Amino acid sequence: MTVVACLKWVTPRADDDDRFAGISAADQSALEFALQSAQPGEDVVAVCAGPVGAERALRDAVACGVTRAVRIDLDPRASSSAVASAIASVVTEARLVWCGDYSLDRGTGSMPGFLAARLGIGQALGLIDVTIAHDAMTVVRRLDGARREIVRVSGPAVLSVEGSTARLRRASLRGVLAADTATIDVVTGPSSVVDTVDEKPFRPRARALAAPAGASALDRVRSLTDAGSVTARSETVVLDPPAAAARIVSTLREWGYLG
Amino acid sequence: MSDADVIVVGAGPAGSCAAIAAARAGRRVILIERGPFPGSKNMYGGVVYPRILDELVPRWWETAPIQRWVVRRSTMVLSETGALTVDYRSNAWGEPPYNGATAYRPDFDEWLSRQAVAAGAQLVTSTTVTGLLRDASGRINGVRTDRPDGDLSASMVIACDGVNSFLAKEAGLYTATDPANFTLGVKETLALPKHVIDERFGVRDDQGVDIEILGGTSGVNGGGFVYTNLDTIALGAVLKLPKLAAQKKRPEEIIATLKAHPAIAPLIEGAEVKEYSAHVIPEAGYSMMPTMVTDGMVVAGDAAALCLAAGIWLEGVNFAMASGMYAGEVAAAAVARNDVSAKSLTAYTDKLNATFVLRDHKKLRKVPGLVLSDRVQQKYPAFVTSVVERVFRVDNPQPKPGLRRIVREERKRAGIKLSQLIRDGWTGLRGFG
Repeated sequence: MTVVACLKWVTPRADDDDRFAGISAADQSALEFALQSAQPGEDVVAVCAGPVGAERALRDAVACGVTRAVRIDLDPRASSSAVASAIASVVTEARLVWCGDYSLDRGTGSMPGFLAARLGIGQALGLIDVTIAHDAMTVVRRLDGARREIVRVSGPAVLSVEGSTARLRRASLRGVLAADTATIDVVTGPSSVVDTVDEKPFRPRARALAAPAGASALDRVRSLTDAGSVTARSETVVLDPPAAAARIVSTLREWGYLG
Repeated sequence: MSDADVIVVGAGPAGSCAAIAAARAGRRVILIERGPFPGSKNMYGGVVYPRILDELVPRWWETAPIQRWVVRRSTMVLSETGALTVDYRSNAWGEPPYNGATAYRPDFDEWLSRQAVAAGAQLVTSTTVTGLLRDASGRINGVRTDRPDGDLSASMVIACDGVNSFLAKEAGLYTATDPANFTLGVKETLALPKHVIDERFGVRDDQGVDIEILGGTSGVNGGGFVYTNLDTIALGAVLKLPKLAAQKKRPEEIIATLKAHPAIAPLIEGAEVKEYSAHVIPEAGYSMMPTMVTDGMVVAGDAAALCLAAGIWLEGVNFAMASGMYAGEVAAAAVARNDVSAKSLTAYTDKLNATFVLRDHKKLRKVPGLVLSDRVQQKYPAFVTSVVERVFRVDNPQPKPGLRRIVREERKRAGIKLSQLIRDGWTGLRGFG
């Protein structure tokens, strides 16, 4: 079995200057947990779908102690679904797959979910606390409204963690020196993974709102901004997964998030 | 077997050149840099004189990340409201093999370090050297870093760890540290469209301007500078540390005053501050230099106080590159003959003494003191500008006064004794002559 850390190479600057590129704090946490959760004799694999420059992040991971580093040569504009498929094709016999909760460059945090689906294993996403034990792990998920969910993870699973959960260990000097010449496996990902190329700058999706109700202008403004109202728009329902998914979609549509 | 033949500490201009020279001579070289990439922690006033690179990187100008080639050199003397500028232009300096260039250090230093890696040196970044390792006889044979399992052994060490070199101090190569030997360089990088810079400074394409300023530093001894990059202007001041502390002035206030001077303000009008940075400069030159070699280690660049601050000549990167290169060559040869004793390494000092590196410093050793003296800083700018003011002021119907009379009157008004003027003139002549 193997433990996998998925790392995303992100260039935070508009000029794409590679010198400032790297992996997010969340991905660093994921890498640290991958190293901590590996059992003796188990391989720890770092995977990154990114350009040649991303090999620097993989070398850093090797310096920290991963046993194998794989770079998937993939169009940087590929969707989360395509990235997940590409990673699933190189990750075999994974017991645990660690990811950052979402990437720095407009990430939605959907890749870990896609990856769990492709691999057909469990998932626990958006973790804010992880306790690693020999047989099963206890993790804490962040939910809306300051709620928390405590989950026990025993079987193979994809886990995505927030950046504050762990601090990546400092690589030893020997590790850094050896990583310079370490082999990085390069896998060519599927070439036609970009359906539509959207070159426009990112804007949040527009949300359709009904005209505000109220007799006076003040009331309408209040209704529009929710100011002064107590909004506890949440409920707990117990449904089987297909019915739960349908309920989420219908509620999102009702709230105006879906067209 | 040790981890390397030569460990170079610091991947600035000195360190990278040392690594290039030693690696090319076939030695196993590890180049250690504390920043995430070479140059990430480095700043300077502004001009690289890369002649020494001709030896190391043939046709370097084709690949080096240069902003502009300096074709105009100005020296400006500022009084409170006046300015006297001596300006020289040579378009030949804008063509190969070039003379001086402005460059961003994070770009330039990173480029230079890539030459070292190409020569075979192994670059280790984000790693701070915290101390020296020694063998039983006391000879330096490695470094300790801040990484776990971070001791690294080598036949010898080249310390290029910059001003305030902890390694040179740990090795006992500096006797005492006197704050009066240092200045604080502060700089703003100001963004303007390229065509605006071209028009204001009278240059085209990749031609650039270098203005050195005497006076204008709010009474704190030092100097100012303005350099053009492609679409930014580097403007700053170099301030003598004890004076800065005594006057209780903030360096950014001094820059703000300099920016508001009538001779400077139109050059930078409308510019947006992109960056503010500061760095300590080993200003005193030859008089503050450490012992350059000890058993198992040599010192180069700013770590060896190889920075020339001699009024009209303000150079550092070229001294760093040259001293680094010589250090690398000497280290490689010393390792090859298996003798890295201080005696064997005096070949390095000999090389520095035989070349511009120490010859310029020795010749100009009294100039930094003169340039930073109270008279040159406070009295002479006012004196010179008021003389010029009167020479060019037309007071019709009064007849033009004689030049000697103007000089005498203005000298007295500025409170400068003739004997001092002659003495300073003589010091300057001996230094520069």
